[in-house]
Amino acid sequence: MGADIWMKQLRKPDLKQPVAVVGSPGLRSIGDLVVNQLIGKIGAELIAEIYSTHLPIVYQTKPSYAAHYMLPGIGGAEVRNGEVDLPKVEFYACSAPSLIIVKGYHANFAGQYDVADEVVDFLSESGVKRIIVAAGYGSKTRKVCCAATDPDLIREMKEKFEIEVEYVGPFYGFSGLVFGLAKRKSIDALCLFAGTEPNLDNPEFPDPKSSELILEVLNQMLVFQK
Amino acid sequence: MKPEIKILKKIESKEFVLVSGLPGIAYIGKLSVDYLIQQLKAELVGEFYSKYFPPYVLVRKDGLVELLRNELHLHRDKAAGDIVFFSGNSQAFSPEGQYEIADTLLDWAVKKGVKKVCSLAAYVTERNFEKPNVYGTATTPEALEELKKKGVVPLDQGIISGENGLIMGLAKKRDVEAVCLLGETRGYQTPTGQYIIDAKATKAVLNLLTSILNLKVNMEPLEKQAMEMDDIIAKMAEVEQRIKEEISGRAKKPSYVT
Repeated sequence: MGADIWMKQLRKPDLKQPVAVVGSPGLRSIGDLVVNQLIGKIGAELIAEIYSTHLPIVYQTKPSYAAHYMLPGIGGAEVRNGEVDLPKVEFYACSAPSLIIVKGYHANFAGQYDVADEVVDFLSESGVKRIIVAAGYGSKTRKVCCAATDPDLIREMKEKFEIEVEYVGPFYGFSGLVFGLAKRKSIDALCLFAGTEPNLDNPEFPDPKSSELILEVLNQMLVFQK
Repeated sequence: MKPEIKILKKIESKEFVLVSGLPGIAYIGKLSVDYLIQQLKAELVGEFYSKYFPPYVLVRKDGLVELLRNELHLHRDKAAGDIVFFSGNSQAFSPEGQYEIADTLLDWAVKKGVKKVCSLAAYVTERNFEKPNVYGTATTPEALEELKKKGVVPLDQGIISGENGLIMGLAKKRDVEAVCLLGETRGYQTPTGQYIIDAKATKAVLNLLTSILNLKVNMEPLEKQAMEMDDIIAKMAEVEQRIKEEISGRAKKPSYVT
Protein backbone atom coordinates (compact mmCIF):
# COMPACT_ATOMS: atom_id res chain seq x y z
CA MET A 1 0.00 0.00 0.00
CA GLY A 2 1.86 3.07 -1.21
CA ALA A 3 -0.79 5.29 -2.72
CA ASP A 4 -3.53 6.92 -0.70
CA ILE A 5 -6.20 5.72 -3.15
CA TRP A 6 -6.17 2.28 -4.73
CA MET A 7 -8.53 0.37 -6.99
CA LYS A 8 -9.36 -3.32 -7.01
CA GLN A 9 -10.93 -4.40 -10.28
CA LEU A 10 -12.72 -7.75 -9.91
CA ARG A 11 -13.91 -8.24 -13.49
CA LYS A 12 -14.11 -6.38 -16.78
CA PRO A 13 -17.61 -6.78 -18.16
CA ASP A 14 -18.21 -6.11 -21.86
CA LEU A 15 -20.62 -3.19 -21.67
CA LYS A 16 -21.82 -1.17 -24.65
CA GLN A 17 -21.87 2.58 -23.90
CA PRO A 18 -22.99 2.08 -20.32
CA VAL A 19 -24.88 4.74 -18.37
CA ALA A 20 -23.66 5.26 -14.82
CA VAL A 21 -25.98 5.78 -11.85
CA VAL A 22 -24.29 7.34 -8.82
CA GLY A 23 -25.56 7.63 -5.25
CA SER A 24 -24.09 8.06 -1.79
CA PRO A 25 -25.34 8.50 1.78
CA GLY A 26 -26.38 12.15 1.82
CA LEU A 27 -29.49 14.08 2.74
CA ARG A 28 -32.03 11.50 4.01
CA SER A 29 -29.81 8.84 2.31
CA ILE A 30 -31.78 9.25 -0.93
CA GLY A 31 -28.81 8.49 -3.22
CA ASP A 32 -27.77 5.45 -1.18
CA LEU A 33 -31.30 4.05 -1.16
CA VAL A 34 -31.61 4.50 -4.92
CA VAL A 35 -28.39 2.65 -5.77
CA ASN A 36 -29.04 -0.14 -3.22
CA GLN A 37 -32.52 -0.75 -4.58
CA LEU A 38 -31.30 -0.58 -8.16
CA ILE A 39 -28.49 -3.08 -7.51
CA GLY A 40 -30.96 -5.50 -5.92
CA LYS A 41 -33.64 -4.99 -8.55
CA ILE A 42 -31.48 -5.69 -11.59
CA GLY A 43 -29.10 -8.14 -9.90
CA ALA A 44 -26.03 -6.09 -10.77
CA GLU A 45 -22.60 -7.67 -10.16
CA LEU A 46 -19.77 -6.12 -8.17
CA ILE A 47 -16.99 -5.30 -10.67
CA ALA A 48 -14.63 -2.92 -8.87
CA GLU A 49 -13.85 -1.23 -5.56
CA ILE A 50 -11.95 1.91 -4.58
CA TYR A 51 -10.21 2.02 -1.21
CA SER A 52 -8.55 5.07 0.27
CA THR A 53 -6.80 6.30 3.38
CA HIS A 54 -9.24 9.23 3.13
CA LEU A 55 -12.33 7.09 3.81
CA PRO A 56 -13.09 7.23 7.54
CA ILE A 57 -15.16 4.59 9.30
CA VAL A 58 -16.22 7.16 11.89
CA TYR A 59 -16.96 10.75 10.84
CA GLN A 60 -16.34 13.66 13.15
CA THR A 61 -18.74 15.84 11.19
CA LYS A 62 -22.50 15.60 11.15
CA PRO A 63 -23.74 15.05 8.49
CA SER A 64 -20.90 12.88 7.20
CA TYR A 65 -20.57 14.86 3.97
CA ALA A 66 -19.91 18.19 5.70
CA ALA A 67 -16.16 17.56 5.49
CA HIS A 68 -13.86 19.88 7.41
CA TYR A 69 -10.09 20.00 7.12
CA MET A 70 -9.62 19.92 10.90
CA LEU A 71 -11.94 16.93 11.36
CA PRO A 72 -10.53 14.05 9.29
CA GLY A 73 -12.59 11.33 10.98
CA ILE A 74 -11.29 7.98 12.29
CA GLY A 75 -10.04 5.13 10.14
CA GLY A 76 -11.14 1.57 10.73
CA ALA A 77 -12.90 -1.50 9.39
CA GLU A 78 -16.49 -2.61 9.20
CA VAL A 79 -17.86 -6.07 9.95
CA ARG A 80 -20.84 -6.96 7.83
CA ASN A 81 -22.53 -10.40 7.93
CA GLY A 82 -19.58 -11.68 9.91
CA GLU A 83 -17.06 -10.48 7.33
CA VAL A 84 -14.58 -7.70 7.87
CA ASP A 85 -13.79 -5.12 5.19
CA LEU A 86 -12.57 -1.57 4.78
CA PRO A 87 -14.78 1.37 3.82
CA LYS A 88 -14.94 1.61 0.02
CA VAL A 89 -16.64 2.91 -3.09
CA GLU A 90 -18.27 0.05 -5.02
CA PHE A 91 -18.99 -0.33 -8.72
CA TYR A 92 -21.68 -2.76 -9.90
CA ALA A 93 -22.52 -3.61 -13.53
CA CYS A 94 -25.41 -4.95 -15.54
CA SER A 95 -25.53 -5.58 -19.29
CA ALA A 96 -29.27 -5.01 -20.04
CA PRO A 97 -29.72 -2.14 -19.68
CA SER A 98 -26.02 -1.40 -20.00
CA LEU A 99 -25.31 0.11 -16.61
CA ILE A 100 -22.61 0.82 -14.04
CA ILE A 101 -23.92 1.62 -10.58
CA VAL A 102 -21.66 3.51 -8.20
CA LYS A 103 -22.27 3.08 -4.48
CA GLY A 104 -20.43 6.10 -3.16
CA TYR A 105 -18.73 6.82 0.16
CA HIS A 106 -17.88 10.24 1.54
CA ALA A 107 -14.14 10.83 1.91
CA ASN A 108 -12.76 13.33 4.40
CA PHE A 109 -11.67 16.85 3.41
CA ALA A 110 -8.20 15.76 2.29
CA GLY A 111 -9.55 13.16 -0.13
CA GLN A 112 -12.98 14.29 -1.32
CA TYR A 113 -11.83 15.66 -4.68
CA ASP A 114 -9.25 12.91 -5.27
CA VAL A 115 -11.67 10.04 -4.63
CA ALA A 116 -14.36 11.61 -6.84
CA ASP A 117 -11.70 12.24 -9.51
CA GLU A 118 -10.71 8.55 -9.46
CA VAL A 119 -14.38 7.53 -9.79
CA VAL A 120 -14.96 9.77 -12.81
CA ASP A 121 -11.75 8.52 -14.45
CA PHE A 122 -12.82 4.89 -13.96
CA LEU A 123 -16.25 5.60 -15.45
CA SER A 124 -14.67 7.38 -18.39
CA GLU A 125 -12.25 4.47 -19.00
CA SER A 126 -15.23 2.10 -18.86
CA GLY A 127 -16.84 3.93 -21.80
CA VAL A 128 -19.49 5.79 -19.81
CA LYS A 129 -20.89 8.69 -21.82
CA ARG A 130 -23.63 9.71 -19.40
CA ILE A 131 -23.76 9.85 -15.60
CA ILE A 132 -27.03 10.08 -13.66
CA VAL A 133 -26.61 11.19 -10.04
CA ALA A 134 -29.36 10.51 -7.48
CA ALA A 135 -29.65 12.76 -4.43
CA GLY A 136 -32.05 14.58 -2.16
CA TYR A 137 -32.83 18.26 -1.57
CA GLY A 138 -34.60 19.85 1.35
CA SER A 139 -38.25 20.50 0.48
CA LYS A 140 -41.70 20.04 1.94
CA THR A 141 -42.88 18.69 -1.42
CA ARG A 142 -42.01 15.21 -2.61
CA LYS A 143 -41.11 15.76 -6.25
CA VAL A 144 -38.14 15.20 -8.54
CA CYS A 145 -36.23 18.09 -10.07
CA CYS A 146 -32.99 18.07 -12.02
CA ALA A 147 -29.65 19.75 -12.71
CA ALA A 148 -27.13 18.98 -15.45
CA THR A 149 -23.76 19.69 -17.00
CA ASP A 150 -25.31 20.93 -20.25
CA PRO A 151 -28.45 22.93 -21.21
CA ASP A 152 -29.41 20.24 -23.78
CA LEU A 153 -29.75 17.68 -20.99
CA ILE A 154 -32.02 20.03 -19.05
CA ARG A 155 -34.20 20.47 -22.15
CA GLU A 156 -34.27 16.69 -22.64
CA MET A 157 -35.42 16.10 -19.05
CA LYS A 158 -38.22 18.61 -19.47
CA GLU A 159 -39.40 17.37 -22.86
CA LYS A 160 -39.18 13.63 -22.25
CA PHE A 161 -39.93 13.33 -18.53
CA GLU A 162 -41.48 16.70 -17.53
CA ILE A 163 -38.76 17.17 -14.94
CA GLU A 164 -37.67 20.72 -14.38
CA VAL A 165 -34.97 22.70 -12.64
CA GLU A 166 -35.91 23.74 -9.12
CA TYR A 167 -33.14 23.25 -6.58
CA VAL A 168 -30.52 26.02 -6.55
CA GLY A 169 -27.58 25.99 -4.15
CA PRO A 170 -24.66 23.89 -2.96
CA PHE A 171 -24.49 20.13 -3.50
CA TYR A 172 -22.13 18.59 -0.93
CA GLY A 173 -20.04 15.47 -0.78
CA PHE A 174 -19.14 12.50 -2.96
CA SER A 175 -22.03 12.71 -5.44
CA GLY A 176 -21.79 16.49 -5.84
CA LEU A 177 -18.09 16.30 -6.65
CA VAL A 178 -18.55 13.39 -9.10
CA PHE A 179 -21.19 15.54 -10.80
CA GLY A 180 -18.92 18.63 -10.96
CA LEU A 181 -15.81 16.72 -12.03
CA ALA A 182 -17.78 14.98 -14.80
CA LYS A 183 -18.46 18.44 -16.22
CA ARG A 184 -14.79 19.37 -16.00
CA LYS A 185 -13.89 16.16 -17.87
CA SER A 186 -16.59 16.82 -20.51
CA ILE A 187 -18.78 13.83 -19.61
CA ASP A 188 -22.53 14.44 -19.79
CA ALA A 189 -24.06 14.23 -16.34
CA LEU A 190 -27.43 15.01 -14.84
CA CYS A 191 -28.70 14.88 -11.33
CA LEU A 192 -32.14 13.83 -10.15
CA PHE A 193 -32.95 15.51 -6.84
CA ALA A 194 -35.90 14.17 -4.85
CA GLY A 195 -37.59 16.57 -2.47
CA THR A 196 -37.36 15.36 1.13
CA GLU A 197 -37.95 16.97 4.49
CA PRO A 198 -34.63 17.47 6.29
CA ASN A 199 -34.26 15.67 9.63
CA LEU A 200 -32.11 17.94 11.80
CA ASP A 201 -31.37 15.30 14.48
CA ASN A 202 -30.37 12.68 11.95
CA PRO A 203 -29.74 14.28 8.53
CA GLU A 204 -29.07 10.92 6.86
CA PHE A 205 -32.18 9.17 8.24
CA PRO A 206 -33.54 7.26 5.20
CA ASP A 207 -36.56 8.51 3.29
CA PRO A 208 -37.60 5.58 1.04
CA LYS A 209 -40.72 7.40 -0.22
CA SER A 210 -38.62 10.10 -1.87
CA SER A 211 -36.01 7.68 -3.20
CA GLU A 212 -38.85 5.71 -4.82
CA LEU A 213 -39.70 8.80 -6.91
CA ILE A 214 -36.20 8.78 -8.41
CA LEU A 215 -36.41 5.04 -9.08
CA GLU A 216 -39.61 5.62 -11.04
CA VAL A 217 -37.89 8.25 -13.21
CA LEU A 218 -34.82 6.01 -13.65
CA ASN A 219 -37.10 3.20 -14.73
CA GLN A 220 -38.43 5.36 -17.55
CA MET A 221 -35.01 6.71 -18.46
CA LEU A 222 -33.26 3.36 -18.55
CA VAL A 223 -36.02 1.87 -20.69
CA PHE A 224 -35.16 4.64 -23.14
CA GLN A 225 -31.58 3.36 -23.20
CA LYS A 226 -32.56 -0.17 -24.28
CA MET B 1 -5.76 15.98 -8.14
CA LYS B 2 -3.02 18.49 -8.85
CA PRO B 3 -3.84 22.21 -8.90
CA GLU B 4 -4.54 23.20 -12.46
CA ILE B 5 -4.71 26.49 -14.26
CA LYS B 6 -6.76 25.73 -17.35
CA ILE B 7 -5.83 28.43 -19.86
CA LEU B 8 -8.80 29.09 -22.14
CA LYS B 9 -7.07 31.77 -24.18
CA LYS B 10 -3.36 32.43 -24.55
CA ILE B 11 -2.27 35.68 -22.95
CA GLU B 12 0.00 37.41 -25.44
CA SER B 13 1.26 40.01 -23.02
CA LYS B 14 4.79 41.31 -22.47
CA GLU B 15 4.00 42.50 -18.98
CA PHE B 16 0.90 42.84 -16.86
CA VAL B 17 -0.39 43.78 -13.43
CA LEU B 18 -2.06 41.00 -11.44
CA VAL B 19 -5.02 42.19 -9.35
CA SER B 20 -6.25 39.62 -6.87
CA GLY B 21 -9.38 39.66 -4.73
CA LEU B 22 -10.87 36.48 -3.33
CA PRO B 23 -13.94 36.01 -1.11
CA GLY B 24 -13.10 36.98 2.46
CA ILE B 25 -14.21 39.42 5.16
CA ALA B 26 -17.06 41.65 3.90
CA TYR B 27 -16.28 40.39 0.36
CA ILE B 28 -14.22 43.55 -0.27
CA GLY B 29 -11.54 41.84 -2.37
CA LYS B 30 -13.98 39.77 -4.38
CA LEU B 31 -16.51 42.56 -4.95
CA SER B 32 -13.73 44.96 -6.04
CA VAL B 33 -12.35 42.55 -8.63
CA ASP B 34 -15.76 41.33 -9.80
CA TYR B 35 -16.87 44.94 -10.22
CA LEU B 36 -13.84 45.80 -12.35
CA ILE B 37 -14.28 42.64 -14.47
CA GLN B 38 -17.90 43.59 -15.09
CA GLN B 39 -17.35 47.28 -15.79
CA LEU B 40 -14.31 46.75 -18.00
CA LYS B 41 -15.81 43.68 -19.68
CA ALA B 42 -12.59 41.80 -19.00
CA GLU B 43 -12.28 38.52 -20.85
CA LEU B 44 -12.21 35.12 -19.12
CA VAL B 45 -8.84 33.61 -20.07
CA GLY B 46 -8.27 30.94 -17.43
CA GLU B 47 -9.85 28.76 -14.77
CA PHE B 48 -8.17 27.47 -11.63
CA TYR B 49 -9.27 24.23 -9.95
CA SER B 50 -8.01 22.81 -6.68
CA LYS B 51 -8.82 19.91 -4.38
CA TYR B 52 -8.50 22.28 -1.44
CA PHE B 53 -11.68 24.16 -2.25
CA PRO B 54 -14.65 23.29 -0.03
CA PRO B 55 -16.13 19.92 -1.05
CA TYR B 56 -19.29 20.96 -2.81
CA VAL B 57 -20.48 22.10 -6.23
CA LEU B 58 -22.97 24.83 -7.04
CA VAL B 59 -26.27 24.25 -8.81
CA ARG B 60 -27.13 27.48 -10.63
CA LYS B 61 -30.55 28.99 -11.34
CA ASP B 62 -30.45 27.64 -14.88
CA GLY B 63 -29.86 24.13 -13.50
CA LEU B 64 -26.24 23.88 -14.59
CA VAL B 65 -23.65 22.53 -12.18
CA GLU B 66 -20.41 24.36 -11.46
CA LEU B 67 -17.28 23.27 -9.60
CA LEU B 68 -15.86 25.82 -7.21
CA ARG B 69 -13.05 27.61 -8.99
CA ASN B 70 -10.95 30.71 -9.31
CA GLU B 71 -10.82 32.61 -12.56
CA LEU B 72 -8.39 34.75 -14.54
CA HIS B 73 -9.78 37.64 -16.59
CA LEU B 74 -7.73 39.84 -18.93
CA HIS B 75 -8.28 43.52 -19.62
CA ARG B 76 -6.17 45.43 -22.14
CA ASP B 77 -6.15 49.14 -21.42
CA LYS B 78 -4.47 51.89 -23.43
CA ALA B 79 -3.54 53.95 -20.38
CA ALA B 80 -3.11 51.27 -17.70
CA GLY B 81 -1.64 48.48 -19.84
CA ASP B 82 -2.58 44.82 -19.45
CA ILE B 83 -4.30 43.74 -16.24
CA VAL B 84 -5.07 40.16 -15.19
CA PHE B 85 -7.79 39.84 -12.55
CA PHE B 86 -7.81 36.86 -10.20
CA SER B 87 -11.02 36.06 -8.34
CA GLY B 88 -13.57 33.30 -7.96
CA ASN B 89 -16.39 31.76 -5.95
CA SER B 90 -14.15 30.31 -3.26
CA GLN B 91 -10.78 30.23 -1.63
CA ALA B 92 -9.05 27.19 -0.19
CA PHE B 93 -9.96 26.24 3.40
CA SER B 94 -6.70 24.93 4.74
CA PRO B 95 -3.27 26.63 4.93
CA GLU B 96 -1.85 23.86 2.68
CA GLY B 97 -4.43 24.66 0.02
CA GLN B 98 -4.02 28.41 0.37
CA TYR B 99 -0.24 28.07 -0.10
CA GLU B 100 -0.70 25.73 -3.05
CA ILE B 101 -3.05 28.07 -4.90
CA ALA B 102 -1.11 31.28 -4.21
CA ASP B 103 2.13 29.54 -5.17
CA THR B 104 0.76 28.05 -8.39
CA LEU B 105 -0.76 31.39 -9.36
CA LEU B 106 2.50 33.28 -8.79
CA ASP B 107 4.54 30.64 -10.64
CA TRP B 108 2.27 31.13 -13.62
CA ALA B 109 2.25 34.94 -13.30
CA VAL B 110 6.05 35.19 -13.10
CA LYS B 111 6.42 32.96 -16.16
CA LYS B 112 3.96 35.14 -18.08
CA GLY B 113 5.59 38.48 -17.20
CA VAL B 114 3.87 39.91 -14.14
CA LYS B 115 5.38 43.31 -13.20
CA LYS B 116 3.29 44.08 -10.13
CA VAL B 117 0.75 42.38 -7.88
CA CYS B 118 -2.14 44.22 -6.22
CA SER B 119 -3.95 42.26 -3.54
CA LEU B 120 -7.28 43.55 -2.24
CA ALA B 121 -8.56 42.66 1.21
CA ALA B 122 -10.37 43.90 4.33
CA TYR B 123 -9.25 45.61 7.52
CA VAL B 124 -11.69 45.01 10.38
CA THR B 125 -12.03 47.85 12.83
CA GLU B 126 -14.22 48.64 15.82
CA ARG B 127 -14.08 52.41 15.41
CA ASN B 128 -17.10 54.30 14.11
CA PHE B 129 -16.33 56.16 10.93
CA GLU B 130 -18.03 58.26 8.29
CA LYS B 131 -15.61 57.38 5.55
CA PRO B 132 -13.63 54.14 5.62
CA ASN B 133 -9.85 54.37 5.52
CA VAL B 134 -7.87 52.30 3.09
CA TYR B 135 -4.88 50.72 4.79
CA GLY B 136 -1.97 49.41 2.81
CA THR B 137 1.26 47.52 2.81
CA ALA B 138 3.89 46.84 0.16
CA THR B 139 6.87 44.62 -0.50
CA THR B 140 9.24 47.56 -1.07
CA PRO B 141 9.67 50.96 0.68
CA GLU B 142 9.31 52.70 -2.71
CA ALA B 143 5.96 51.04 -3.41
CA LEU B 144 4.76 51.94 0.10
CA GLU B 145 5.75 55.59 -0.48
CA GLU B 146 3.67 55.59 -3.66
CA LEU B 147 0.69 54.26 -1.70
CA LYS B 148 1.10 56.93 0.98
CA LYS B 149 1.10 59.67 -1.67
CA LYS B 150 -2.28 58.39 -2.86
CA GLY B 151 -3.75 58.62 0.65
CA VAL B 152 -3.31 55.04 1.82
CA VAL B 153 -2.78 54.63 5.58
CA PRO B 154 0.31 52.43 6.03
CA LEU B 155 -0.41 49.31 8.05
CA ASP B 156 2.07 49.14 10.92
CA GLN B 157 1.09 45.76 12.27
CA GLY B 158 -1.63 43.19 11.75
CA ILE B 159 -2.36 40.06 9.79
CA ILE B 160 -3.78 39.58 6.30
CA SER B 161 -5.35 36.16 6.50
CA GLY B 162 -6.00 33.78 3.63
CA GLU B 163 -4.80 33.84 0.06
CA ASN B 164 -5.06 37.64 -0.18
CA GLY B 165 -2.27 37.77 2.40
CA LEU B 166 -0.27 34.79 1.16
CA ILE B 167 -0.05 36.29 -2.33
CA MET B 168 1.74 39.25 -0.74
CA GLY B 169 4.12 37.11 1.31
CA LEU B 170 4.96 34.76 -1.55
CA ALA B 171 5.39 37.65 -4.02
CA LYS B 172 7.98 39.15 -1.67
CA LYS B 173 9.85 35.82 -1.57
CA ARG B 174 10.00 35.94 -5.37
CA ASP B 175 11.09 39.62 -5.47
CA VAL B 176 7.91 40.58 -7.27
CA GLU B 177 6.68 44.05 -6.33
CA ALA B 178 3.34 43.75 -4.57
CA VAL B 179 0.96 46.08 -2.77
CA CYS B 180 -2.06 45.27 -0.67
CA LEU B 181 -5.01 47.59 -0.19
CA LEU B 182 -7.24 46.84 2.79
CA GLY B 183 -10.65 48.48 2.98
CA GLU B 184 -11.74 49.45 6.47
CA THR B 185 -14.92 47.64 7.51
CA ARG B 186 -16.87 46.71 10.62
CA GLY B 187 -17.08 43.21 9.15
CA TYR B 188 -20.74 42.73 9.97
CA GLN B 189 -22.09 39.20 9.74
CA THR B 190 -25.58 37.75 9.45
CA PRO B 191 -26.88 35.56 12.33
CA THR B 192 -25.68 32.49 10.34
CA GLY B 193 -22.14 33.87 10.16
CA GLN B 194 -22.19 35.08 6.55
CA TYR B 195 -20.34 38.33 5.93
CA ILE B 196 -22.42 41.24 4.69
CA ILE B 197 -20.98 42.72 1.51
CA ASP B 198 -19.39 46.08 2.27
CA ALA B 199 -19.84 48.15 -0.87
CA LYS B 200 -18.69 51.32 0.88
CA ALA B 201 -15.28 49.92 1.77
CA THR B 202 -15.09 48.38 -1.71
CA LYS B 203 -15.69 51.78 -3.27
CA ALA B 204 -12.91 53.31 -1.15
CA VAL B 205 -10.49 50.54 -2.23
CA LEU B 206 -11.46 50.89 -5.88
CA ASN B 207 -11.07 54.67 -5.89
CA LEU B 208 -7.46 54.19 -4.82
CA LEU B 209 -6.73 51.19 -6.99
CA THR B 210 -8.02 52.86 -10.17
CA SER B 211 -5.92 55.91 -9.34
CA ILE B 212 -2.80 53.76 -8.78
CA LEU B 213 -3.34 51.83 -12.00
CA ASN B 214 -4.46 54.88 -14.02
CA LEU B 215 -7.69 53.11 -14.85
CA LYS B 216 -10.97 54.82 -15.79
CA VAL B 217 -14.04 53.02 -14.45
CA ASN B 218 -17.67 54.08 -14.09
CA MET B 219 -18.26 54.03 -10.33
CA GLU B 220 -21.95 55.06 -10.38
CA PRO B 221 -23.51 51.58 -9.86
CA LEU B 222 -21.17 50.93 -6.94
CA GLU B 223 -21.92 54.35 -5.43
CA LYS B 224 -25.61 53.44 -5.36
CA GLN B 225 -24.81 50.17 -3.64
CA ALA B 226 -22.56 52.02 -1.18
CA MET B 227 -25.38 54.39 -0.25
CA GLU B 228 -27.64 51.42 0.46
CA MET B 229 -24.79 50.11 2.61
CA ASP B 230 -25.09 53.20 4.80
CA ASP B 231 -28.62 52.11 5.77
CA ILE B 232 -27.50 48.55 6.48
CA ILE B 233 -24.58 49.76 8.59
CA ALA B 234 -26.87 52.08 10.56
CA LYS B 235 -29.24 49.19 11.28
CA MET B 236 -26.43 46.81 12.24
CA ALA B 237 -24.87 49.44 14.51
CA GLU B 238 -28.26 49.90 16.19
CA VAL B 239 -28.58 46.14 16.79
CA GLU B 240 -25.02 46.03 18.11
CA GLN B 241 -25.70 48.90 20.49
CA ARG B 242 -28.88 47.23 21.76
CA ILE B 243 -27.02 43.95 22.41
CA LYS B 244 -24.26 45.84 24.26
CA GLU B 245 -26.86 47.61 26.42
CA GLU B 246 -28.65 44.34 27.14
CA ILE B 247 -25.39 42.66 28.14
CA SER B 248 -24.33 45.52 30.42
CA GLY B 249 -27.89 45.70 31.85
CA ARG B 250 -27.79 41.99 32.58
CA ALA B 251 -24.41 42.34 34.29
CA LYS B 252 -25.78 44.94 36.70
CA LYS B 253 -28.67 42.70 37.80
CA PRO B 254 -28.06 40.35 40.71
CA SER B 255 -27.11 36.91 39.51
CA TYR B 256 -29.19 35.13 42.16
CA VAL B 257 -32.38 35.74 44.13
CA THR B 258 -33.09 34.91 47.75
